[in-house]
Amino acid sequence: MTRAIIEVDGLTKTFRVAERSEGVGASMRALVRRRYKDVPAVAGISFRIEAGEIVGFLGPNGAGKTTTLKALSGLLHPSGGTARVLGHVPWKRENAYLRQMTLLMGNRSQLVWDIPAADSFRVLQEIYGIPEAAYQRTLGELTELLDLAPLLHKPVRGLSLGERMKVEFAAGLLHLPRVAFLDEPTIGLDVSMQGRIRQFVAELNQRHGVTILLTSHYMADVVALCKRVLVIHRGKLLYDGGLSALAARLAPYKLIGVTLRDGETDGELSRYGEIDKRGEGRVTLRVPRDQAAVTTARVVHDLGDRLADLSLGDPPIEDVIDKVFTTESVA
Amino acid sequence: MIGIYRALLLASFQSASQYRVTMFLYLLFSIIRPVIFLAAWTAVAAARGGTVGGFSAADFAMYYAIVTLVAHLVTSWNAYEFEFEVQHGRLSPKLLRPMHPLHQWIAENLVWKAFTLPVMLPVIVAIAVTFNARFTAEPWQVMLFVPSLLLGAAIQFLWNWIVATAAFWTTRVNAVTTLSDRLGFMFAGLVAPLALLPEPLHTIAYALPFASMIGIPAEILRGGLTPSDVLARLALQGVWLVLCFAGYQAVWRLGLRQYSAVGA
Amino acid sequence: MRRYLRLFMLFIGVEAQYELQYRANLVANVLQQAMVIVTSVAAVLILFSYTDSLNGWSIAQMLVLLGVYYVVQGMIDLIFRPSVERLMEQVRLGTLDYALLKPINSQFIVTLRHMRLIQLANVALGLVIAVAGVVRLGEGLGALDVLAFIVALATGFVLVYCLLLVIATLSFWFVRVENLLVIYGAFVDAARFPVDIYPGWLRVTLSSVIPIGLAVTIPAQAIAGRLAPESLALMLAAAVAAWLFSGWFWRRGLRSYTGASA
Repeated sequence: MTRAIIEVDGLTKTFRVAERSEGVGASMRALVRRRYKDVPAVAGISFRIEAGEIVGFLGPNGAGKTTTLKALSGLLHPSGGTARVLGHVPWKRENAYLRQMTLLMGNRSQLVWDIPAADSFRVLQEIYGIPEAAYQRTLGELTELLDLAPLLHKPVRGLSLGERMKVEFAAGLLHLPRVAFLDEPTIGLDVSMQGRIRQFVAELNQRHGVTILLTSHYMADVVALCKRVLVIHRGKLLYDGGLSALAARLAPYKLIGVTLRDGETDGELSRYGEIDKRGEGRVTLRVPRDQAAVTTARVVHDLGDRLADLSLGDPPIEDVIDKVFTTESVA
Repeated sequence: MIGIYRALLLASFQSASQYRVTMFLYLLFSIIRPVIFLAAWTAVAAARGGTVGGFSAADFAMYYAIVTLVAHLVTSWNAYEFEFEVQHGRLSPKLLRPMHPLHQWIAENLVWKAFTLPVMLPVIVAIAVTFNARFTAEPWQVMLFVPSLLLGAAIQFLWNWIVATAAFWTTRVNAVTTLSDRLGFMFAGLVAPLALLPEPLHTIAYALPFASMIGIPAEILRGGLTPSDVLARLALQGVWLVLCFAGYQAVWRLGLRQYSAVGA
Repeated sequence: MRRYLRLFMLFIGVEAQYELQYRANLVANVLQQAMVIVTSVAAVLILFSYTDSLNGWSIAQMLVLLGVYYVVQGMIDLIFRPSVERLMEQVRLGTLDYALLKPINSQFIVTLRHMRLIQLANVALGLVIAVAGVVRLGEGLGALDVLAFIVALATGFVLVYCLLLVIATLSFWFVRVENLLVIYGAFVDAARFPVDIYPGWLRVTLSSVIPIGLAVTIPAQAIAGRLAPESLALMLAAAVAAWLFSGWFWRRGLRSYTGASA
């Protein structure tokens, strides 16, 4: 078996949290003897990521995504399990490893606000020991891909949120890491800027073969970039596989959209399946996956000429994921 | 007016209790600085075999204990935040209320004093005891100290505001504040009791408002001044109060005109 | 080592560019610090208008001490404090993670990355006062005195650096650590006079927990030719101990921050 770029086996992280006590008496007692509770953030997850993959990491807030990313980038020491990234144990934080990876957090800035990004970049060049020629080449490429030229010489505090994110990306990638962990890289950005960043991440992966593990609240990011996703919930891995198979696996139903020329009377469509939603003359039906084709045929047969429009499709991936997380039934 | 003050005091009290730890720590500054000069003058007195210009080590101890108390009671801090308020547009909402912002600042000051005095008093007593202070004031001097202290507080408060209104005209209020602070350091009676300032500093001190803020109340409570000396000093404080009040009114009006002209 | 030196020079260069953008600020700041120093010198002169010697310190020696006070204070506010303040902010905002992900010694980048070059004015003005004091001393400085001065000064910096590092490290566990900096700031003021004039509690504080008094008094003693060799030796030993302890404490704090113990 060949070595994968990222190998995670039974990774576990348990936080010890002091139990909050209410009332003065309880607080006083807590001073003397504090009670702790073990809160598992990641409860034994395993996966492998091969070189050049872009993998999406999905899960609701508090599912353990950031904890996993922090462990893989070496910021957190796990309570159990093993992990190897590029052959290194991340939490040993060897310089040889740190030089080859990057962690970008969309809501946390690493640049100094008072000075122009170009100056911060010079410092990073020195810290990572990037030779001048390589530095110029990478910076040139990043400048072109992200359209940085007008931004580099302004103090960072004067940039808009989207501009700052582009500069943050460049800062995190100057040393051309082989592995990039992106934690909510598009958070708070407007739609067109999200698109730019997405396009950039794809470019980075294609041109340099950077292996990318990314989390995002925006399904559009995941749909556009990742062929494969990991779904994590309450610290456990629920799913590891292709994005399209995810819908089939997690959502055992399809949606049939029906629009009638003369409109629906007396909720007549409810006999074909559960009504998902009604609006603007259109009714969406939810039917079990294995009966979808038969039901569609029945609709066509029964309603014939009255049909203005008919569609058959998978539910939106957001809804599928959402449903899994709220019902918490492990598929 | 009483109703307004009750509300203002309550609000200041609530915000003060939130930041109490930091507030109490800042008291360290007010305590350590007088101790520094008390220690220095004690060393000078020792080098001269006991007294400096009529001050023995015990007199210095009493004097600086009093200075600590007076400085604490007359000092107002909120003018220092004014620059921030002007530059970040926080002043505008206050100007919209049907009440001069001065009242809020007075209320904040009173609360801060009330809050910290119970901590300051024992510390001051402890300093006085450590340095063997001797209290020599007579009852009439203690009585006249009270109006002098109030005058000092009013003068300092108005003066700080005159300085703070510089924020209407410049973004570098710090330089102006530092100048005022350092003049105060020299001439308010902290570096040395006013009586010990050599000429011409002694004359300059009384010609500036700083002596009227701290040095004069401290001189009166320390005792040793004749009734006519005390009255002359109270009169001087009265003059400074009038001057500062007039000055404050003038710069505040001019400043507001400037502020609204710029638009904030 | 060479690499770290080069990096440090780069940090300085970056900060210099920033400060130079605001030349008017620079002038205003220099003016302010000049006011502070002139009035402080005046205070010393007032004291000495009544005596020739303060606890054995002549006016010339006292000027040296005051000069050293501003040099030390300026250097600390120049290099250490800005970084430590920034560190506390980074722990609060969670951006410290980025510093820890750099392939470089974390203590180095965290404690020396940021500086306030404007404080150089304070250092320079302090040097002027100290030199004026030395000139007034009359007797020439021996090479040994200068050497002792440099060693004492460097040792003093190490002591204060260690204190600030420990305070900074505490921010891994406690939220409002900047309060400790307030305490530190209040005591710094007292270092303007030799520690031996103070009552016991203050003298002990200034020479142990908050060693700013030592950091000023001992180098000044070296120049003023009144340094006992054993004081310097003791201070050196204390600095080594403080260095080892604060380094260990920092690593301990980092480990707890990254949850190694859990």
